[in-house]
Amino acid sequence: MDSLSAATAESFRLLFSGDLALWIIIFTSFSVSVRAILIAAPFAFVAAFLMAHLRYPGRRAMIAGFSAMQSIPAVVVGLTVYLVFSRSGPLGDLNLLFTRPAMIIGQILLSFPLLVALSHAAFQAADRRAWETSVTLGAKPYRAFLTLIHEVRFGLTAALIAGFGRIIAEVGCSMMAGGNILGYTRNIPTAIALETTKGEFSQAIALGMVLLVMALLLNGLLAFFQGRGVMSS
Amino acid sequence: MSEIIRYKALRKTVHGELLLDIDVLEIHEHACVALSGRNGAGKSTLMRIIAGLEAPDSVTVTFAGQTMSWRRACQRMRTHVIYLHQHPYLFDRSVTDNIAYGLRRQGLTIKEISSKVSEALDWAGIGHLQMRNARELSGGERQRVAFARARILSPRVLLLDEPTANMDSEAREQTHRMIKLLKDDGVSILLATHEFHIVAHLCDAHLSLESGSLHPQSIGLEDGERKIIPYG
Repeated sequence: MDSLSAATAESFRLLFSGDLALWIIIFTSFSVSVRAILIAAPFAFVAAFLMAHLRYPGRRAMIAGFSAMQSIPAVVVGLTVYLVFSRSGPLGDLNLLFTRPAMIIGQILLSFPLLVALSHAAFQAADRRAWETSVTLGAKPYRAFLTLIHEVRFGLTAALIAGFGRIIAEVGCSMMAGGNILGYTRNIPTAIALETTKGEFSQAIALGMVLLVMALLLNGLLAFFQGRGVMSS
Repeated sequence: MSEIIRYKALRKTVHGELLLDIDVLEIHEHACVALSGRNGAGKSTLMRIIAGLEAPDSVTVTFAGQTMSWRRACQRMRTHVIYLHQHPYLFDRSVTDNIAYGLRRQGLTIKEISSKVSEALDWAGIGHLQMRNARELSGGERQRVAFARARILSPRVLLLDEPTANMDSEAREQTHRMIKLLKDDGVSILLATHEFHIVAHLCDAHLSLESGSLHPQSIGLEDGERKIIPYG
């Protein structure tokens, strides 16, 4: 109990004393996950819009597929990225394994189905008259699409937050694709896993607190934006 | 009155049944035409086809003297023909932004847009609402914003889909006044309604949509009192 209290006190000291190693880990986490979500989002929004507004063969299968893919374990995505980018893998020559780009690719794959599924729900719930009004007032399709994005912005923001929440806290994919290299690919979840196995609880608790605050904040924002989405529709 | 658009041999099938089978539909300049028919007769579908929102099975369109496909006509008629839903959709932004929406796509300067929007706000008598979010407005106010938003684009044809449905008498009167003003501005209007007698005083012609085809109807006025347009 004493050691746990001491570790907790030390974790606060680490957090608020500006410990460089700790903050590099936090920075890595955010840098990788924010880039992943920013790259994935535009493609996810377009895919979700097309699924919601066009009728084509295989559409229902696509919707069901993206919905099912949300439950793919992070470690399986990590394994796939590992196999693809490992020396003997099809893209081994790119030398991306155990780099931040590999982590970003893994997190894009992980967040994409969730982003598509949630933004599809937002587009599906949008009033069809929004698109039609935009078109009848002279907007070209891409402009009408941007207008529609604005109309369902709360739903899409909720999708972004949920997608970010999914990847900021995952361990499996980051560990396998990034390799947990100190100062480069070590992020919050992989650092917590490592420090805990080493018995170095202070850094693990400090990072855990950051994740916890982040999770609470994201969920609060998610509830807020989902509420706004319902109210504005 | 000269013809703006002509639709020839317009066919539309919905769920395997022929909904529209129209030999000729002409829209003339400065004319207000009522389009009546029972619920489900295809009034809205016809208007949506004219507006470019729904594709027909087949049709030949003549616009500005040129015969073209429906798709090509839709591109050519962009902003010349504006469709207003039965319950107009207003974007989740201010009244001013809603009215300026179409103008922002025409390459005008901010000053020009601002001046046109001010004029449109005054025209619709909604200057006091300009900074309000359009979603917060009442049904009648929304209708006025939608009319102002359409008028600002100087359309040649306005397609109104039951514009006074579910309105109280005051809002209905207001809407009729705006339709009259638009007509006076030279806008041609095709007005779908299932209560012709309510809009009879606004109309120059009356077409009834029955069993998929259009049938010219008397508008119940003495000859000479109103210019009757030959349709169909």
